Amino acid sequence: MYRYKSGIELLDKAMGGFDAGTNYLVLAPSMSSAEKLAIALSRPLSGEYSIILSTDERASEVIDYCKLTGSDKQFIGVIDAITKTSSPTVSDTQRLKFVASPTDLTGIGIKFSKMSEAIFEGSFSDDDSGLFPPPIRFCVSSVSTLLMYRNLGVMYQFLHVIIAKLKKMEAVGFFLLNNESYDEKTISLIKQLMTGVIEVKSEGGETYFRIIGILGIPPDWHKFRIEKGLVVMQQ
Amino acid sequence: MIHTGISGIDDMLEGGIPEGSRVLYSMEPGVDGQLFMASTLNAAISEGKRCLVIVPYASTQAFLHDISGMTGADPSAIAAGATFLDSTDRFRILKQAGTPGKALQIWQDEVKNRVESGSVDVIFAYLDLLYDDFGLEGAISILTQPVATGQPTVILEHLNLDGEPGLDKFSDHHKIDLLISISAGFRYIPFFNYFTLVHASWLPLRQRSVPFITADGRIIPYIPKIVVTGPSRSGKSTFISSASDCRESVDRSGVSDSPTTVAMDLGWIHWKSFDITLYGTPGEERFDPIIPQLVKNAMGVVLVIDATRPDQMERAKHLIRLSRADRLPLVVAANRTDLPDSLDEGAIRSGLELRSDVPVYFISSVRKADVRHVIESMVDCITRFTF
Repeated sequence: MYRYKSGIELLDKAMGGFDAGTNYLVLAPSMSSAEKLAIALSRPLSGEYSIILSTDERASEVIDYCKLTGSDKQFIGVIDAITKTSSPTVSDTQRLKFVASPTDLTGIGIKFSKMSEAIFEGSFSDDDSGLFPPPIRFCVSSVSTLLMYRNLGVMYQFLHVIIAKLKKMEAVGFFLLNNESYDEKTISLIKQLMTGVIEVKSEGGETYFRIIGILGIPPDWHKFRIEKGLVVMQQ
Repeated sequence: MIHTGISGIDDMLEGGIPEGSRVLYSMEPGVDGQLFMASTLNAAISEGKRCLVIVPYASTQAFLHDISGMTGADPSAIAAGATFLDSTDRFRILKQAGTPGKALQIWQDEVKNRVESGSVDVIFAYLDLLYDDFGLEGAISILTQPVATGQPTVILEHLNLDGEPGLDKFSDHHKIDLLISISAGFRYIPFFNYFTLVHASWLPLRQRSVPFITADGRIIPYIPKIVVTGPSRSGKSTFISSASDCRESVDRSGVSDSPTTVAMDLGWIHWKSFDITLYGTPGEERFDPIIPQLVKNAMGVVLVIDATRPDQMERAKHLIRLSRADRLPLVVAANRTDLPDSLDEGAIRSGLELRSDVPVYFISSVRKADVRHVIESMVDCITRFTF
C-alpha cells in the first residue's frame, strides 16, 4: 500500500508516512499557521497530485504559496470557492476550477470528481508518474468556512461522501477546522469521520502540533514552524 | 408541455412534462448532472416560457456564466427570458427578517408576487439552501403556493446526500410528478453516469436507468457496450453489420474459405437518441480466453444462435457463462428461423436453461428490421435493469 510522506520526520521514520485511504482533521486555533501546515502536508511529492479546496484564498494565491514549497504547479489542482463571488465570469481551466460560493456543495462535488477523473485518466498534467491508483493528497481549507454557510448535518453528510471517495481512490485527506469557532459537539461529530487528528496550539509565540489516532505515534506536543512552506521541527 | 431539452428523456416522457407539474432532478454528490436543469431551463426559455429562477447559492451573473459555459446558450437570452432570486436576495431576506419564520414569509411573498406579476410559466429552483434554511416542508411551500395566475410548473434541482431514503422523502410527501435521479457507477472514480427515471405520475412507466454522456452541452443517452456473442457461424458478424450505422471487423478466412471473426467485431449505432457500441466476440473455442476481457463493463449481452443447430446449444450455454450473461440483461436472437427444421421457443428456452425474463426473438440476421428489434429489446432490458 502506498504511503504518503508527511515531511514530519518522527512520523515518516516510524510509520513511513500516512497510509493511503486515511483522513486527518487539522484542528487549530486561528493565527496558528494551521493553513500553512495543512498545505505543507498536502503538497505533492514526486509522482503525486494535490487537490486543494480553498474557501478563503483565491486559487492564484494558493498556487503561489504552493510554489514556495518547490511543488510543481502542474500537479496541483485548486477548487476555488471564493473568486466567483467577486469575479463571476471567471472560467475553469484544467487545474483551476471555480464554484459560485462556499455554499455550492453540488459544484464542489462535481469539480472534485472532474479533477479526480482527469488525474486517473492521465490528462491532468503533461507528465504522469504511471502509478496506479495515482497518489492524491486532498485538502479542505477550511471546513470552518463551509460550516459557516451550510448546516452541520449537511456538512457531515457531504464530508462523509467525500471521505468515502477518498478511501476508494486510496488518497489521503486533510481537513482544516478552527477549534475556537465551534463547540465540542460539532468538533466531535467531524472527528468521527477522521482516521486521526493533527492538533495545533500556540503558546508564547510558538506553535506546536500533536498527532492523535495513529498507532505507534505518541500524542506528544512538538514545536514547529513553517519555513518556505515546509514543516521544520524545533527543539 | 415543458420540454427537458434532452431528446431521450422527452421521448420516454411521450413528449415532455405536462404544464403545472412538479419535477425533481435529484443529484448524487460528485455526479456531473447540472446539465439536466440547465437543458430544461434553456428549452423553456427558447420556447418563450416566462421563467423565475431561484438560485440562492450564486449571483445571477455567476449563474448565467456557468449556464452559458455548460450549454453554450447566450446568457443575455436567458437573462431576457427570466427573472432571478439569487444569493444577494437570500442574504437580504435573511437580514431583513431576523427570524427564520419571518424569512420564510418574505420568501413566500416574493415568489408569489414575482409569479403573479410576471405571469411566470415555470419556476426553476435550486433547492438546497432553501432546504437548509426552512426544512423541506418550508422550502416546498415557497414554490408551490396557490397563485391567481395559474399554477406554474416547478422544476427543482437537489443534491441528494441521503441516497434512496432522500428520494422517498420527496416522492412520498410532496407530490413530485417527475422524479429523475442522477447517479454514477464508481470504482476508483465515476466511470459512467446514469439517470434513473424513478417515476412520472402521468405515465405508467416502470423505473428505468439510462447511462449518459455529455457532449457539446447536450446530454446523450449512451450504452457504451453491448456484447454480441454466440457459437461459431451463428450469424454474429452479420447481426452487427445489419444493426450498425458503421462497423469494423477483424476477421480472416477460415478452413472453409469463408471469413471468421478472430478478435472482435465493432459496430456503432445512433438509435432513438441513444449512442450504442456493439462488441462482437469470436465464436470459435480457441478464442474463449479473450471473451472475459471483451465483456468487461458490458451493459448487456445479445446471444445469437443458429436455430437450425440444436447441437450448438451446449456451446451457447457455455458462452452465456463465459460472457457473464447470467448477471446481465440478456436477449436471445435465434437466427435462420426462415429455414426449415428450426427450433421452437420452448426447445431454445429449455436447451439454454434461460431465465423467464430473457426475451427470445426469431430473426434473420440479414434483415435490418429484425436485428433492430432485438437491439430495441436489449436497450429496454438495460434501462430496466438495476446495475
